[in-house]
Amino acid sequence: MTKQIYERPIIRKLETGMPGKFGMRTEYPPTTQIDGVPVKKIMEQYGSPVFILSEDTIRTTFKRAQRAFSTRYPKVQFAWSYKTNYLDAVCRIYHQEGSWAEVVSGFEYDKALHNDVDGRKIIFNGPGKSEEDLKKAIDNDSLIHIDHLDELYLLIGIAGNSSRKPRVAIRVNMDTGIYPQWDRFGFNYENGQAWDAINKIVGSGKLELTGLHTHIGTFILTPNAYAVAATKLAELATEISNKFNFSIKYIDLGGGFASRNTLKGSYLPGPDVNPTFDDYAEAISSALLNSRLDSSNLPLLILETGRALIDDAGYLAGSVVANKRLSGGKKSVILDLGVNLLFTSFWYDHKITPAQSFPLHREDTVLYGPLCMNIDVVRENISFPQLNAGDGVVVHSVGAYNMTQWMQFITMRPKVVLIDLKGNLHVIRNNESLGTVIENEIVPDYLKSV
Amino acid sequence: MQKIKEYLSEQYVGLLNSYAMVFFSRDRFFAWILLLVTFFDPVAGAGGLIGVLVSNIAAEIMGFSRFNIRSGFYGFNSLLTGLGIGLYYQFTPVLVILIVFASLLTLFLAVALEGVIGKYALPYLTLPFLISFWMVTLAARYYTELDISERGIYQINELYSLGGQYMVAVNEWFGALTLAPSLVTYFKSLSAILFQYHLLTGMLVAIGLLYYSRIAFLLSLVGFYSAYLFYSLIGANFNELNYSFIGFNYILTAIAIGGFFIVSSRTSFLWVILLTPLISIMVTSTSVLLGNFQLSTYSLPFNIIVLLFLYTLKFREKSISGLKAVAIQEYSPEKNLYTAQNNALRFPAGSYFPIGLPVLGEWTVTQGHSGEFTHREGWSHAWDFEITDDKGAAFMNKGLVAGDYYCYGKPVTAPADGWVEEILDNIADNEIGQVNLNQNWGNTIVIRHNDRLFTKLCHLKKGSIKVEKGQRISKGEVIALCGNSGRSPVPHLHFQVQQTPFIGSLTIDYPISQYIVNAKERPELISYARPRKGDKISSLPHNSSLQNALNFIPGQLIEFKVDDEQGTAQNIRWEVMVDLYNHTYLFCSKSGSKAYFSGSDDLIYFTWFEGSRKSLLFAFYLGAYKVAKGYSRNLVIRDVYPAKISGSNFRQLLQDFAAPFYMFTRNQFELCYCSMNDELAQSGILLKSKTLRYYGKKAKAIAEFEFEITNNRVEKFIARFGNKQSIATRYDKNTA
Repeated sequence: MTKQIYERPIIRKLETGMPGKFGMRTEYPPTTQIDGVPVKKIMEQYGSPVFILSEDTIRTTFKRAQRAFSTRYPKVQFAWSYKTNYLDAVCRIYHQEGSWAEVVSGFEYDKALHNDVDGRKIIFNGPGKSEEDLKKAIDNDSLIHIDHLDELYLLIGIAGNSSRKPRVAIRVNMDTGIYPQWDRFGFNYENGQAWDAINKIVGSGKLELTGLHTHIGTFILTPNAYAVAATKLAELATEISNKFNFSIKYIDLGGGFASRNTLKGSYLPGPDVNPTFDDYAEAISSALLNSRLDSSNLPLLILETGRALIDDAGYLAGSVVANKRLSGGKKSVILDLGVNLLFTSFWYDHKITPAQSFPLHREDTVLYGPLCMNIDVVRENISFPQLNAGDGVVVHSVGAYNMTQWMQFITMRPKVVLIDLKGNLHVIRNNESLGTVIENEIVPDYLKSV
Repeated sequence: MQKIKEYLSEQYVGLLNSYAMVFFSRDRFFAWILLLVTFFDPVAGAGGLIGVLVSNIAAEIMGFSRFNIRSGFYGFNSLLTGLGIGLYYQFTPVLVILIVFASLLTLFLAVALEGVIGKYALPYLTLPFLISFWMVTLAARYYTELDISERGIYQINELYSLGGQYMVAVNEWFGALTLAPSLVTYFKSLSAILFQYHLLTGMLVAIGLLYYSRIAFLLSLVGFYSAYLFYSLIGANFNELNYSFIGFNYILTAIAIGGFFIVSSRTSFLWVILLTPLISIMVTSTSVLLGNFQLSTYSLPFNIIVLLFLYTLKFREKSISGLKAVAIQEYSPEKNLYTAQNNALRFPAGSYFPIGLPVLGEWTVTQGHSGEFTHREGWSHAWDFEITDDKGAAFMNKGLVAGDYYCYGKPVTAPADGWVEEILDNIADNEIGQVNLNQNWGNTIVIRHNDRLFTKLCHLKKGSIKVEKGQRISKGEVIALCGNSGRSPVPHLHFQVQQTPFIGSLTIDYPISQYIVNAKERPELISYARPRKGDKISSLPHNSSLQNALNFIPGQLIEFKVDDEQGTAQNIRWEVMVDLYNHTYLFCSKSGSKAYFSGSDDLIYFTWFEGSRKSLLFAFYLGAYKVAKGYSRNLVIRDVYPAKISGSNFRQLLQDFAAPFYMFTRNQFELCYCSMNDELAQSGILLKSKTLRYYGKKAKAIAEFEFEITNNRVEKFIARFGNKQSIATRYDKNTA
């Protein structure tokens, strides 16, 4: 017989107010283990907080996405969006699964090369490529996605001296019926900028126009927006083929698929309402198959999905530092993980569960991080049980962006641990120490004596 | 000058084939042996030679089929006539004249018989010789200028005059040779085919026969010894001269029935034995009949029995396995057998109208032919498809709603071009676990591919059908979505092929033209087979580069620059040809080799090779034996070569003997799709293939090949036989 958990007496305001459509309470079981590995054990071994990635979830999710598209459209290629999570181990899992690389800077480009990605399978996006970056990409025969005319002129200039004809695509922005319309990347479809760029590329004779790209936005909750985008790009591809008599080799619909996270301000929880891969795939492939594209020579469909692929595979485990009542009587909990590690808590109401069994009673709670900054709020309002200092918590679906946008601010970044398919643990990024932080600092001699 | 040279070479080939054709062969070595032994009696030998030359030259002048002349079809009967006449008479100018005209008569008879019984697809065998020789024998009795030969009576004297003391000694040695009497009779019977009665002749012929074909040699023994046993059974001594002079009838019948006109097998051997008494009856009865005219029966029994047997076989309503007529004559029982075996393996039922998979991406067969649930009785030849994940589950979450199932709502495509014949699209999808037995097929599309071939897709999602009745649809077009209507407890797709256009039609056993089975080790491409339960299958992705590179258009020239390791380089040119019967082949004019190929939009395969096995074209035939025109990384294609594709060794010889009964060697083709450099242009493809020889279960690679496909063509082809390597690079006059 296990010892019963002690429950502190609490006084709770009677809530008779407005329940949601499905009630107010969201009950989760505790997350005591991930892929069969006890969370407590991981924290004991690698410290708290710690990022945990599940290889099984990564691969399963990837295959689910792949299946959703490949059973609907004959030629599909995923390109791993490096900025979503560019830990080498993570990237390599995707490359093993057959993903190409999608990078948006010279640094990411080098990282992709470092991960043994064939230069021809690197897609170079982004508005800020330098001349040096472009030269490198041309040398490796990568796919360069042109963002603006200045880049186009620069490329034509470089290509003039290069023996190789660079393979390029243009980034197209368009109205897909959603708000906000992202019009800062690439050339506009409706006002003719895209055609202007296409004419200049083909007219120069120095670049090989291989594809068309668009990135319509992020966390798109309307699959139909992709159908509109796919239709417009297919139309563009058909017209290019009519006008110039060559066929576009690929259509790249960028990223932006929603993960299962719940956006702030969303009325219903993300897992219930966010579209699935099947929803996106259905919209995109029907649009392409029903377009005027030549069905015997369909272009490759490239997807730069990042978030939806990795988000669910990432967990952030941490501990309760303290419980505290605020002046209005609201309960707050201070965790050892804050917005410095959990950048996405600015966007999402993350699902957070205790890492051990807990008492029945719940109370609306604010979860704070450990930073001495007012902004460090992990959840503004969560129905949370009573935990004691030292108890563990697990933040779910943190695989995307956190391990790239995290800050070394006030505290240092923790370890990242990967659970492999056999349940073995691997540290794939070590925690920072004072040494790593001051490594690049230089103290002028006259400041050395304090 | 060139013309004369060509003419002489034609005549030379026709001459040798005429000799070998006596034993159904085209083997040069065998022909030379036969030519040599006929000259053991120089007059007879000369007579035979004159006979062949007269026949072939006359046939040429008169404009008969060059192919027949070259094959020796017209020559071998005249050879026998010439030999026979030469043997019986003294050498005089009159004899030469007689042989010339007797040969002409034989030729006419051959041509006439070809016309008469050729209609029934029967060979004329040695009938022309028999008729003309009997006629000449009868007539010559009144030709007083001819003298009956006395050769053979004073044998030692003749031998001495031929080769002096040495020949006499050789003859004595043979005389002293102690062999089993039956074996002596066997050799003498063989020699009797050439009108001789000499042990040495028989032995040389036996060696030639063995060299030409192990099966033919074995058959000659089986034929001879079954006769031998039969005669001892009925109480006659087969060693007696009378019998041995007609003993060859059994030998020739055995070769003809056991492996030449019929594909060699246990059954054919059995029939060789069973036919022995019939031949014996014919031998005795015809001898009695012909005896009235003082004529010998010669090979008449052989002719009667073989023709009779071949003709009666044609009237069978059921073709019993084991007695199969040779489709394309290759003039060797081994080759006939190996080709027939190979064709039975590769093209078991002729040609099919290709029906592909009706889905995109990878699906799993959850019920196959004669499945355990509903694919029974008249509806047993159907498939159920679902999509499963790595863990084998067909759904995510709890699988309580249709949407949890991976296959639900997935596109269903047309498996081949056709017309929409029938549509049912108003049946609601079931709750999971429920079945609708009233409308058991659910929402259905029936597609008409031709008037005798329909496919049916069932349990479609309500309202998802995108086509209309009567509409023309093309392969791969999305026509509906997978659903859960009808007798369908969980979402799946039912697919069947049928001969009638109704929704309830019975199924027919019909294969899928091509699909990939994603096995654990490696994906393998399977052609014209039936997916089995549990198979994870998908269609091969189209590849334009391979499609263009392997699309050989008649008239197209393919040129290679070939380097071997000795550093010698030569240019090779192949032309894509098509013959009168629409057979396409690659032709190498340098080596005179032809590699026949067949194919469709998605596949090319070689069916036949003839010519030099040292040529690059032969290597190409082996290396590109079967190539699908799509690309999927690590994909493997396997196929079987004919049992004999390279030079003989000891084990191959053993196999030849055993082939009609048991095959312990096997030649397998294995092709791997290794890598593709440029996935966007679908170019820079590396294919590797090898030729494996299996002895039992042990495999040995006898050749390895590599293909590099760039710029829509085979840019590089490497062939490695042992440590011999040739590198062929595509060569263009324009770029050179």
